Amino acid sequence: MSNIKARKVSFSWEGTPLHWVPGDPFTSHTINVLHLLLPAGERWFVHVYKQVLPYIRDEQLRADVVGFIGQEAMHSQAHDEVLPHLRELGLDPTPYTAQVDWLFEKLLGDRAPLPGRRGRRWWLMERVAVIAAIEHYTAFLGDWILNAAELDRRGADPTMLDLLRWHGAEEVEHRSVAFDLFMHVDGGYARRVRTWLSGLLVMFFLWQRGVRFFMANDPAPGLRKPTFRGFYVRGKRGLLPSTWAMARSVPRYLARAYHPSQEGSTEQAVAYLASSPAAIAADKGAA
Amino acid sequence: MPRPLSLALTAGAALLARRAMRRRIEGSPLWPLGALAEPISGRPRSRALRLTVAAHEAVAEGVVQLWLEGRELPGWEPGAHLDLVLPSGLVRQYSLCGDPADSSAYTIATRLVPDGRGGSREVHEGLRAGMTVEVRGPRNRFPLAPAPAYVFVAGGIGITPILPMIRSVADQPGLEWRLLYCGRSRASMPYLAEVEKLGAGTGRGRVTVVAEDEDGLPDLDSLFAGVAAELPEGTAVHCCGPEGLMAAVEARIPEGAVLRLERFSGRAAGGGDHAFEVELRRSGRTLTVAADSTVLAAVRKELPDTAYSCEQGFCGTCQQRVLGGEVDHRDELLTDAERAGSMLICVSRARRGPLVLDL
Repeated sequence: MSNIKARKVSFSWEGTPLHWVPGDPFTSHTINVLHLLLPAGERWFVHVYKQVLPYIRDEQLRADVVGFIGQEAMHSQAHDEVLPHLRELGLDPTPYTAQVDWLFEKLLGDRAPLPGRRGRRWWLMERVAVIAAIEHYTAFLGDWILNAAELDRRGADPTMLDLLRWHGAEEVEHRSVAFDLFMHVDGGYARRVRTWLSGLLVMFFLWQRGVRFFMANDPAPGLRKPTFRGFYVRGKRGLLPSTWAMARSVPRYLARAYHPSQEGSTEQAVAYLASSPAAIAADKGAA
Repeated sequence: MPRPLSLALTAGAALLARRAMRRRIEGSPLWPLGALAEPISGRPRSRALRLTVAAHEAVAEGVVQLWLEGRELPGWEPGAHLDLVLPSGLVRQYSLCGDPADSSAYTIATRLVPDGRGGSREVHEGLRAGMTVEVRGPRNRFPLAPAPAYVFVAGGIGITPILPMIRSVADQPGLEWRLLYCGRSRASMPYLAEVEKLGAGTGRGRVTVVAEDEDGLPDLDSLFAGVAAELPEGTAVHCCGPEGLMAAVEARIPEGAVLRLERFSGRAAGGGDHAFEVELRRSGRTLTVAADSTVLAAVRKELPDTAYSCEQGFCGTCQQRVLGGEVDHRDELLTDAERAGSMLICVSRARRGPLVLDL
């Protein structure tokens, strides 16, 4: 049996403002980009992992992957429910999410770029490796949000923080699964480097584009254009991940001795899940 | 050391490339990404509503009515039901029995089943006015069939989906209808006064109330003999009540009439589950799902790589295409459109007949 299991959480968004970090649209929107990327992205994780199940020859890993799939499915649903709320607040995310949907459903869909059985297998393994790389970044972000006390001090919306921290804690909780799965079914170092780089570039591209999309379409008047400097400064203040911490963490994935269990703290994640209002409600529901 | 000429050429090429890209982006803001014509994200499958229990009152012996208040609630048609998520996490379905035009509250009623599976006991004893509950829906799997005339048969608490139907039929002049409302005793039958008033109105309806302690068992034979004699071909019969009543109605249904049944699914009625067969069309195998087992467990014995995760009907991983059979949906996720052609095999079961899955 695996310790990793999906929790049936639900959040109600009626009281959450668009700028849920008071007075800081840039920070709010930089994190809001998650709601644009994750519904499609994590649905795609689930879609790919359903196909990789027959390749798993280890019962413990299979149980972990089954739990991972359910957690990712719930992440996707939970972030998806924020989008209609953004629309009600006057910021329609559809032009952007239609593109993210296209990216994951079509470009990264099941049509392999190479022909035949081997082509299909190659494409599946490539996508499994991309997921392992992305999970390295999400575990970093999960660990960051669990420790982002500055957001509490600024009076950030508690429901949004609970969504992010519940999600972050589950990312930390299951951070080894994607990497273990990749090492189990393939594990090639060249593939690891290649997908690490393409995952990083695509995430960077989508993220900066998402922030610019939000800032340009925000109904509030007088918003400044987002800049990298704005990101750097907030990183130093602890409102966003610090640029240096990211720069140090990103290449760690390339070390031959890398294993996700060295990153983040399972104890902290489990402790948060034991105190998260949404997770408590979900556990009560399951009992 | 690179020569000045190659440096100038490279710089020139870079400038040109940059200009071309900027032009391209300005011409089409979506470049270089495509977009799905019908985006999937941002259209949540089921939206939970949090409603306040505004009133919790007894309307008959052993029956309480809940008045759940909210703002701008989704509309519904007679026959619809809600999924009510109780504080303990149990999910139960209850028919809406209020006014569909009222978008500020939903009304449901439930009978206490002392030896049931705990849902009705929790509604009766655990819920109080002022508490907040989560609901999903409304959904309708018992819609009013369009027909020239109507017969309704309600047994006890089975009046709840029928009541809004009668109100809407009684509103339309010229529509003939009959209601047979039976129960153990008059005191245990909810909404009896309103039902009798509807029948006594100037409309073309007739209400027969049968309380078993006074009148004995309902006489379905004479009801349907009357229906066949007086009502036109294509009369719709809507029935909701205990399994025995519905089976009796089904057996007596006159030729040319349309029958619609609302079964309390296993959960609401507290009845046990039954075993059924599942055909896996692509694998060419047929399995039996035992009463205490699930479709998923049976399928995994044959196809161990079938995907699943939460095993409680909320994550959606085990969704499978259904090619045949009538599904008793017990998940908390799928929309009505998705339910038409698929099911979550971890919790949902067969309502009737063998299920055929695309596996």
